Amino acid sequence: MFWTLLNPLLQMAVYTLVFRTIMKVGLPAFPVFLLSGLLPWTFISVSATTSAHALLNNQGLIRKVAVPQAVYPLAVVGSKLVDLLFSLAPLALIAALMGRPPSVAWLALLPALVAAIAFTTGLSLVFSSLMVFFRDTRHLVDILFQVWFYLTPVLYPSSYVDGLPQRWIRSVLALNPASPIVRCFQQAIYEQRLPDVSTLGAALTCGAIALAVGFATFERLQHRHIHYF
Amino acid sequence: MPGEFSFQDVGMCFRMHRERVTTLKEAILGRFRHVRNVDEFWALRGVSFEVRQGESVGLIGHNGSGKSTLLKIAAGVLIPTEGRARVQGRVSPMIELAAGFDPDLTGRDNVFLNGALMGYSRREMAAKFDRIVEFSELSEFIDVPVKNYSSGMYARLGFAIAADVNPEILIIDEVLAVGDERFQAKCMDRIREIRAGGCTIFFVSHDMNAVTQLCERVLVVHHGRVAFDGAPATAVRHYRELQESAAGAQAIGG
Repeated sequence: MFWTLLNPLLQMAVYTLVFRTIMKVGLPAFPVFLLSGLLPWTFISVSATTSAHALLNNQGLIRKVAVPQAVYPLAVVGSKLVDLLFSLAPLALIAALMGRPPSVAWLALLPALVAAIAFTTGLSLVFSSLMVFFRDTRHLVDILFQVWFYLTPVLYPSSYVDGLPQRWIRSVLALNPASPIVRCFQQAIYEQRLPDVSTLGAALTCGAIALAVGFATFERLQHRHIHYF
Repeated sequence: MPGEFSFQDVGMCFRMHRERVTTLKEAILGRFRHVRNVDEFWALRGVSFEVRQGESVGLIGHNGSGKSTLLKIAAGVLIPTEGRARVQGRVSPMIELAAGFDPDLTGRDNVFLNGALMGYSRREMAAKFDRIVEFSELSEFIDVPVKNYSSGMYARLGFAIAADVNPEILIIDEVLAVGDERFQAKCMDRIREIRAGGCTIFFVSHDMNAVTQLCERVLVVHHGRVAFDGAPATAVRHYRELQESAAGAQAIGG
């Protein structure tokens, strides 16, 4: 519990030092901005990379006890969700200290959380299943999330991307399904306003698609897992 | 009706990978090199039988005959490749008793964990807890992590949990081999008690005495097929004949 809370705070301290003090990113209340995007992003990426191993690590149980296999990746998502919810408390404290106390806009975190959970569950189901068939999925997943982190507006505000002169970069980055989800959190916590309908709509759509694809894939493949352990 | 189950023309095919593709890299390169080399092995084929509520059925066969595969299908762990397996009611599989144990947790926590795996809430397990501990004779060690248990202690706790969850179908796979004679006798008594309560029992063992004592009907599995289905004494004779003919064939062939 202690470490769960400490980890994002340490990350926040380091990123703030690097980006605001050394690289002079001129964003007011940078720690609040950073945490409001970093927490949902960490939930997505840590859940997905951890649940990639969920089926393999529990193969002993899967071979012997008849339990729906989706339980194993879902349990990972559940425990990371608890981490996320708990870490909202220090975030609220820091936000209040920096003059951006939690407002009514925090209510928008509920639909934002729904989108984040659906999206993460979908990814986790796909990766956990893929890992059973191909053991090098772990490397793929690690690299994917490293790259994805920098393509998602967590360290920089999305307005920086919108201001880029190259049109193709803008349109490629606009396809990132994690962006609208992270944006919802930033708008509610950092900008202290209700998220745009378009952003929230995009987040929920991405979540719904990921969840549907994830469950459909898992449902089709789960009976074959046992032959590949 | 709960407690019944039936197999209809069930077959289970395992793919044995001679040169197994386990990485994405190989899978992609393999498309060009045709390295996929898969042998099919039918562990069970054309298995049909029905078990009525309250019946106790034994299952015997030589090693590798498909007994365990059959049990795992009955327990819902494996999904058959072909045919239909219908199982009705709450199944308590004593296939590998300590399957759900987490070695780092204490015996106490593992009782609740195992209960959760069989669909019991914390409160329901709390009501059973004292009985389970008493039966397992582990009250002294119940707060010790189970990684420090001996294999006999493991088996005792596992049996005590599986036997106390009021199953409608109890599947027992050679689990009485561990534990001393006295505890084995205690387990047999407990199984008889469960049977008397109207529970369907599916019992696998190499101990022919136990099978004939406990079961009213015995299936002999041979090379993935049901070779005999009927009275225990005849089944045991049939099983011994099959074994002798296999040994004979091996002597001639060898």
